[in-house]
Amino acid sequence: MLLFLRSCLVALLALWLSSGASAAMPTLTVYTYDSFTSDWGPGPQVKKAFEAQCGCQLNLVGLEDGVSMLNRIKLEGGNTRADLVLGIDTNLTAEARATGLFEAHGVTLKSSSLPEPWSDNTFLPYDYGYFAFVYNRERLASPPASLRQLVEDDNGPTILVQDPRTSTPGLGLLLWVKKVYGDQADAAWARLSKRIVTVSKGWSEAYGLFLKNEADMVLSYTTSPAYHMIAEQDQRFAAARFSEGHYQQIEVAGMLRSSQQKQLARDFLEFMLSERFQSIIPTTNWMYPAALARSSLPPEFAQLIDPSPALLFDEELVAERRKAWVDEWLEVMSR
Amino acid sequence: MNPRAIPAGLILCLLAMLVLVPLAGLVNLGTLPGYESGDLQFWHSAYIRRVLFFSLWQAILSTLFSVVPAILVARAFALQPAFPLRGVLLRLFALPLVVPSVVAVMGVVSVYGSDGWLPLGRTLYGLAGILLAHVFFNLPLAVRLLLPLWQSIPRRHWHLAEQLDMNAWQRWRFLEWPALREGLPGVMLLVFMLCLTSFAVVLTLGGGPKSTTLEVAIYQSLRFDFEPTRAVVLALLQLCLCLLVAGLTLKLQRLPEVEITIDEASTAVKPVYRPLQLLLISLAAIYVAMPLVSMLLDALAGPLAQVISNSALWRSIANTLFIGLSAALASVVAGWLLLRYSASLALAGLVGRARLVELSGSIVYVVPPLVIGTGLFVLLSPHVDVFGWVYPIVIAVNALMGLPFVIRSLGPALRQNHARYDRLCQSLALSGWSRLRYVEWPLLRRPLGLAMALVAALAMGDLGVIALFGTPNTATLTLLIYQQLGAYLIADATVTALLLLLLCLTVFWLLERGIGGRADA
Repeated sequence: MLLFLRSCLVALLALWLSSGASAAMPTLTVYTYDSFTSDWGPGPQVKKAFEAQCGCQLNLVGLEDGVSMLNRIKLEGGNTRADLVLGIDTNLTAEARATGLFEAHGVTLKSSSLPEPWSDNTFLPYDYGYFAFVYNRERLASPPASLRQLVEDDNGPTILVQDPRTSTPGLGLLLWVKKVYGDQADAAWARLSKRIVTVSKGWSEAYGLFLKNEADMVLSYTTSPAYHMIAEQDQRFAAARFSEGHYQQIEVAGMLRSSQQKQLARDFLEFMLSERFQSIIPTTNWMYPAALARSSLPPEFAQLIDPSPALLFDEELVAERRKAWVDEWLEVMSR
Repeated sequence: MNPRAIPAGLILCLLAMLVLVPLAGLVNLGTLPGYESGDLQFWHSAYIRRVLFFSLWQAILSTLFSVVPAILVARAFALQPAFPLRGVLLRLFALPLVVPSVVAVMGVVSVYGSDGWLPLGRTLYGLAGILLAHVFFNLPLAVRLLLPLWQSIPRRHWHLAEQLDMNAWQRWRFLEWPALREGLPGVMLLVFMLCLTSFAVVLTLGGGPKSTTLEVAIYQSLRFDFEPTRAVVLALLQLCLCLLVAGLTLKLQRLPEVEITIDEASTAVKPVYRPLQLLLISLAAIYVAMPLVSMLLDALAGPLAQVISNSALWRSIANTLFIGLSAALASVVAGWLLLRYSASLALAGLVGRARLVELSGSIVYVVPPLVIGTGLFVLLSPHVDVFGWVYPIVIAVNALMGLPFVIRSLGPALRQNHARYDRLCQSLALSGWSRLRYVEWPLLRRPLGLAMALVAALAMGDLGVIALFGTPNTATLTLLIYQQLGAYLIADATVTALLLLLLCLTVFWLLERGIGGRADA
C-alpha cells in the first residue's frame, strides 16, 4: 500500500501548485469580520456593486470580529496591508484612535439615520443596533418590561448571556447594566446571576442554545426577530422592550494613514453611505443602516420594538473603565 | 553518534522554533513603546489562583472519568473480537474528536438539555455539563488508543495463561496490566492536555465565569486586553502545569522489558462470551452515539439541498481536505523521526532521554494555537505577505497539534518493533529504504494508519488559526459552520456539521484502510 501513500503525495503536490495567480488592477484591502464576508453577509453583494463602479478589486479580509481587527492593526502598525477597517464598534473606537494609525476620512455623513448626531471625523458609521433580550412568544407570555424588572423579579425568566471577556454583546450587556445601575451594578449582577443559565463564549452558542429552548430569553439584538420574520416567515420571536432604553452598538469604518489607495478608500467610504450599500445591510447584517430613510427599510422592521432612548457611554470612558468593570463582573459572577 | 539523532534533532529544533520563537516574539512586542508591558502582578490576584485551580480540577476529573471507563471498554473490545458491528463502533469512536466544539455542545444539549432525551435541567450547566462533554470527546479516543495495547500482547502469552489455568484477575495482573502500563500514562497525559486546554465547552456548559480555564484567561489577554506578555506568561504557566502532570504520569510508566519474539500479536485465543463486557460496549456506544444521532436527526430535518448547492461548500471541502491531509502527513513524518530516535535511545538504555524526546513532542500541544499563531504573525508580517503564508502556517500549527496523537498511537508499536528487530537488522545490514519497506512498514502500518487518520480528522475539525489569519477564499468547513451560526443559519450549520463528520469519517476510513491494511483495528 505504499502506492497509496505515493498517490496521496502526488495529489497534495498538485493541490499545492494549483493555488496562486491574480490580476493586475488597483486593489483596495478592507479588514472586516467574517460574518460580513460570508456568503450570507453583505460582503458578496458589496464587492460586486463596488467593483462595478470603481475599476478596482475589492479585497475583503474576514477576521474573527472587531477586537481581532483592532489587534491585527496594532500588530501590523504602519506596515498593514489594509486600506480600511470596517466593523469595529463604538466600544473600541477610543482605543483604535489612540493607535494613531487612522486618518481623518474627510467624508460627510449627509443623510444620517442615527438617533444621535455624528461628529467623528476619524470613523464613519455604516450601521447600528441595540442589544435586547429576545424571547419566544409562545413560551414566554409576559416578558419583563424593564431591565430592573428582569434583574429584580426573582421568579423572572431564565436567560442566556455572553461573556464580556470574549464577546461584543457580552460587553454590551455589562455596559447596559452599568448604565442603568451605576455603582449598584455588582449587586444587580449578583441578583441576576441566579437566573443566568449559562454565559457563553460568543453570540452563536447562546443563540443556538436559546433556539433549543434552554432558557426563556437570550441576549441578542432588537433586530433579531426581523431575521425570523423575513428569512423564515416565523412570527414567534420578539425582543422585550425595556423602559430604561437599550444599549446601542454603532459599527464604524476607518481609513488607515498608511494606505497607498487613499482616493479609492474615500470612494469606498462614500459608497458605504450610498443607498446601494445601505440597502444591503438590513437583510444581510440584520442591523439598522446608518444612512437610509426608515421608509426604505423592509416592512418587517416596522414591527420591531422602539428601543429609545438609546443608551451609550462615551468611548473614552469605556476605554478607561472597561477592565475594571469586567473585573468587577468577574468577581460577582465567580462567587 | 546515533545517525537518527540528526533528523530527530532537526525536528526538535523545528518544534522549538514553532513554539518558543513566537512566544519570544510576543514578549518582545510587550517591551516595544506603545504597548503596555502589562501588569505582572496578576500572579497575586485571586482570579488567576481560582482559574488555575479550576483548570486543574476539571481536567483531572475529566481525565479520570474518561480514561477509567475507557480501560474497561477497550478491554471488552479486545476480549470480544467477534462482537457484532465491532468495526463500525470503533470507527464511530473516532468521530467525537473531530466535532467542532460548538457543534458538540449543541449535540450534548440536544441529549441532556431541557428538551432533550435525558433532561438534566439546570444541573447540566456546571461541572456536570463539562464532564459529560469531555467524556464524550475523550472516552472514545482513549478506547482507540488503548485497544492496540491489548493487541500487543503476544498470542503465546494468552496460550500460556490458558495452560496455567489463570483466572480473569490473574490474566489482568500478569498479562494485561503490564502491557497497559506502557501506554496508559501517555494516554492519560494526552486526555489531560485536551481537557486542560478545552475552552468553548467549558465556558458554555460551565454555566459562567466560575468555570474559567487558563485557556480562557490566555484568550482574554490576547483579545480585549491585548497584553501579549501576560498571554505568554500564562501560556508558559499552562506548559509548566502540563510538565508537572507529565512527570507524575511518567513515573507510573514502565517500559516492558526487551523481548525477542517474532510471534504475531493477537488477542484472546478463545473469545469467551461475557454479558458484562457486551453491556459495557453497548453502554459506551450509546453514550457516544446519542449526541451524534441527535446531530444527525437535526441535520436530516435541515435544509440539505440548500447547503449542498452552495458553491462555498465545495471550496471549503477542498480546503479542508488539503489542510487535513497535509497536516497529517507532516505530523506523521515528524512524529516518526522523533519516535525512531527515542526508540533507539531506549534500546541503548537511555530511557530518561528517550522519554524526554517523546515528551517534547507531545507537550507542545498545550501552547494555545492562538498564541503560536499571533507570535508567528508578529514575526512574519514585517517581512512577508502573510496571506501567502496562511496554508503553510495553518498546516504547520495543525501538524504540531497532531504530534501528541502520533506519538501516542505510533510510539508503543515502534518501540516494540525496535526492541524486536533492531539487532537483527543490524546483523543483516538492513537499513534505509529496505528496512522501512520490509521490517517497519508491515508491522507499523496499522498504528501509522490510525495516527494519520487521527491527525487528518483532527486538523479537518479544527478552527484554530484560520480564523486568526483570515483571508478571502480560505474558508474551511469548520469556519463555514461558524459563519452559518453567526448568520442565524443554525439549521444550515447542523447540515454542514454532518457533512464535515461524513467527510472525516471517509478520510479516516480511507487512511486507516489504505495505510493500515484490511485487518480490522
